[in-house]
Amino acid sequence: MELLGYFLHALTPLNLGLALAGVVLGTIIGALPGLSATMAVAVLVPFTFAMEPASGLIALGAIYTGAIYGGAFAAILVNTPGTPSSIATTFDGYPMAQRGDGGLAVTLATLASVCGGLVGALALLALAPPLARVALAFGPPEYFWLAVFGLTLIAALSVGNTLKGLIGACLGLLLSMVGVAVVGGDVRLTGDLPAFLGGIDVVSALIGLYCVPVILDLVATRAAHLKVLADDQGYRLKEAAGIAWRSKFNVIRSSILGTVIGILPGAGGSIAGLVSYTEARRASPRSANFGKGEPDGVIATEAANNATVGGGFIPTLVLGIPGTPPDAIILGALLVQGIKIGPQLFTSEADTVYTFIYGLLIATVLMLPAGLLIGRYAYRSIISFPKALLVPTIAFLTVVGSFAIHSNVHDVQVMFVLGVIGWILNRYGFQPSPIVLGLVLGQIAEQGFVQTYLIGNATGNLAGMYFGRPISIGIIAAALLSLCYPFYAEWRARRRNALPLTEAAAEADSHPVEPAPTGAAAVRVREQGAIVLGLIFVALGFIALRDTVGISPMGSIFPRAIAVLLIGLSALLAILALAGRGVRAAPPEAAASGRRRFLLAVVFGLWVFAIPLLGLGAASLLGFIAMMFIAEHESQSSTVWLRRAIIAAVVVAAFWLLMSRLLLLRMPAGLFF
Amino acid sequence: MKIRTTFFATAALALLAAMPAAAQSAEEFPTKAMTYILPFDAGGESDIAARFQQSVWNKHTGQDVIIQYQPGAGGAQAWSQLNDIAGDGYTVMGINLPHTILQPLEGNAGYQTDELTPVHYFHYTPNAIFVPSDSEFETLDQLVEYATANPGLVTLAGSGSKSANNLGQMQFDQAAGITTTYVPFSGTGPSITAVLGNQTVGGFNYATSAMAQGDALRMLAVASEERMPAFPDVPTFKELGYDIVGGAYRGIAVPASTPEDIRQRISDIVSEINADPDFISKMEEGGFVLTDIPYEEMPEFVAQMKEEYTAGAKALGIGD
Repeated sequence: MELLGYFLHALTPLNLGLALAGVVLGTIIGALPGLSATMAVAVLVPFTFAMEPASGLIALGAIYTGAIYGGAFAAILVNTPGTPSSIATTFDGYPMAQRGDGGLAVTLATLASVCGGLVGALALLALAPPLARVALAFGPPEYFWLAVFGLTLIAALSVGNTLKGLIGACLGLLLSMVGVAVVGGDVRLTGDLPAFLGGIDVVSALIGLYCVPVILDLVATRAAHLKVLADDQGYRLKEAAGIAWRSKFNVIRSSILGTVIGILPGAGGSIAGLVSYTEARRASPRSANFGKGEPDGVIATEAANNATVGGGFIPTLVLGIPGTPPDAIILGALLVQGIKIGPQLFTSEADTVYTFIYGLLIATVLMLPAGLLIGRYAYRSIISFPKALLVPTIAFLTVVGSFAIHSNVHDVQVMFVLGVIGWILNRYGFQPSPIVLGLVLGQIAEQGFVQTYLIGNATGNLAGMYFGRPISIGIIAAALLSLCYPFYAEWRARRRNALPLTEAAAEADSHPVEPAPTGAAAVRVREQGAIVLGLIFVALGFIALRDTVGISPMGSIFPRAIAVLLIGLSALLAILALAGRGVRAAPPEAAASGRRRFLLAVVFGLWVFAIPLLGLGAASLLGFIAMMFIAEHESQSSTVWLRRAIIAAVVVAAFWLLMSRLLLLRMPAGLFF
Repeated sequence: MKIRTTFFATAALALLAAMPAAAQSAEEFPTKAMTYILPFDAGGESDIAARFQQSVWNKHTGQDVIIQYQPGAGGAQAWSQLNDIAGDGYTVMGINLPHTILQPLEGNAGYQTDELTPVHYFHYTPNAIFVPSDSEFETLDQLVEYATANPGLVTLAGSGSKSANNLGQMQFDQAAGITTTYVPFSGTGPSITAVLGNQTVGGFNYATSAMAQGDALRMLAVASEERMPAFPDVPTFKELGYDIVGGAYRGIAVPASTPEDIRQRISDIVSEINADPDFISKMEEGGFVLTDIPYEEMPEFVAQMKEEYTAGAKALGIGD
């Protein structure tokens, strides 16, 4: 049995050690928003040149899978996806953590990630050559419809407030088109600033839109960041395993979806997570709980995104087409090792390939103990840190993360500005998630749409290209289903009002969910904020229209269509609000200190814009200490402050060294350091 | 009071750690690891060539090199920031032709061609036209014949708009008197995928693009002066009667503030690696054509390329 030999080869102490070290390192890097698997893999590739190819691959694959998993920690504990793959984890993971189920959410994410990772790796082991055909069957129209499918999640995310959700999506789509268009090469919506040529980085936007509001709200109240149950039960592994077992169909469906989407070179973990989340929500009897802390939401996203790791290796190894950026770097490492990629790889280099796949399987299993330990530690630190340290630490991590993406201060500033805008919009009922979905899916949708148009136009078969291909029809059907389902579910719930959903009731007993504020949402008011914002968005739409005059049709058709849509929707919003038919957002929490929040935003802004002058380290140290004082609601003795100042210096120094010495990022040359 | 002392002590310590190493002579360069920024995503030709260089970098310099990716705007994002980087020689950036000529011609690129400082162009990948192996087209003539009869019906996938691939496709259209439809993709990987999956009739890519695909793709012609050693059976466009020679050059650039002797030293390092037998065999197997255009020949080379590409681009309506 040859395969057994490869398995034993993967079990050598060196390979086991590399798998464990890779998973631990990857998990930590993935948990820090902005530090990505791509970065870690890119830095570590040279070390693998001296290793045997299989060992090097195992180390890189372990880092990759660990990083995708680690993204869940930040998503659950601070509402910020550590990697774009865990965007949908925030939807339910953070509400779970807020109500005291953070430990449970982390354990569930771990179990789901391990299952998803195993399914993906097993598919790679057993079915790689036939599955690779999937990558080829997806053409531009399929990518376009896949992105549209992802966008239908907006309807589900903004039930009761669909108009604002759609406007948010239009804003996100417009943001995604800033910069040089891939198709057509036109420069759009940059405001003539060269810094925006490369567009708005998705990761820095994610950090800003999700994390800055958390920081601003954290400082405003005395309440703890996350609720801690009096009887904190640790990992709650048994409970989590029980939930996962009851959701086994969700786990399997999400893992398979993740594997298949991972095979598509243009898609990746973020789309896999979003699509699986949409499907899990549609199929669940408790779909109304999604977005409010439903364990199945975390399970679906995390199973799917780890399944993309194994899935992504399928086209990489079989066709030489990397599924994701980390795959591309690993492909380069293979070429340097002198290994010829291609269909013959599984026979000519069977030893290397199968040892690697077994190594990936072992690394995935090792995620369970490693992840539970790291997750437990991260959870404990988050709940035991005093606010005066937690607020500046999270703020500092947003700065570090958004800087690290391109070693560029511009990304940090974009992160902060988008974050403040996102916070303001959120107060008026515009949630960040539709904006993020638009931003993540916009490029894929636009490229697919224009490429389909070019091909369809050339062959005189436009309608057939868009609507006539079998896979496209399947995706369109799924999209329609998920688009209409929330309305159907609402209608059904109204009809069956008298009969309580027994499953939902039983579930609610074991995991109390905050009741939806249905009473408040139903009140129609003359909403002044919506009138003002609606008019601003109409103006934004016209600016976008004016900016895209005179560029090629390839580069302008999509942004112009979105701008027109934005103008129409925003005008409708303003008119409805004026007519007294607006939906007021939930009022801000009582006892919130607007003054502290404002001060924090000012300090954060000064910090971010002082980086080019003072240097990243110096600006961060000053900002950190200033935020420490703003975030403290009690008076503390000078000993406490001294201890905190030392912690501040240590945290800043540690990350400064990590970035400049280990990741070798170019630090901005300021006055100091 | 105590807080302040702590703060200043920490600040002073960190300042010390961050002090740049004292200026040093070019002969000793480099004395620490270097950073090599690629203005593209991982996995493309620039990345693979740089990884090949990286694998022998330490052997020739005694120091490692770290590769980082800064994709955006077809490279313009990184190139427009090149001169903001400290010119100590420890940070270098990949640079490509014709990208760095065509982008500023279009305006709005954030840099001018002459503001960049290439110190060495070390290899070249000619354009090539591909079809999937199950395609009905066995030769370029068959494809041209079909395209003549069916204007616009031949769709060709390529990497980016107004790129080397796009320029090559336009030149081909002009030389053969045909109309093909160019479909831009976000990189070599996605465009090759489209060709493999029969989403387009063929692809206008680099000769290196199909190295990993083995028999799945058929290269109909290559836009080099002579047949390439890696593909002895593939005719050149010139042989077939179309006067098209083109592709992309890749090299290494430094910030404008880098001193002359360091520029020269980096150019020498790249030349030395270009002569490494290990490196040569990997590159040639991969379908790359090694060129050796060192720093002293750079002004002449860039001027000549600028003239060629500007004329070519003007004729095709780029940069109006």
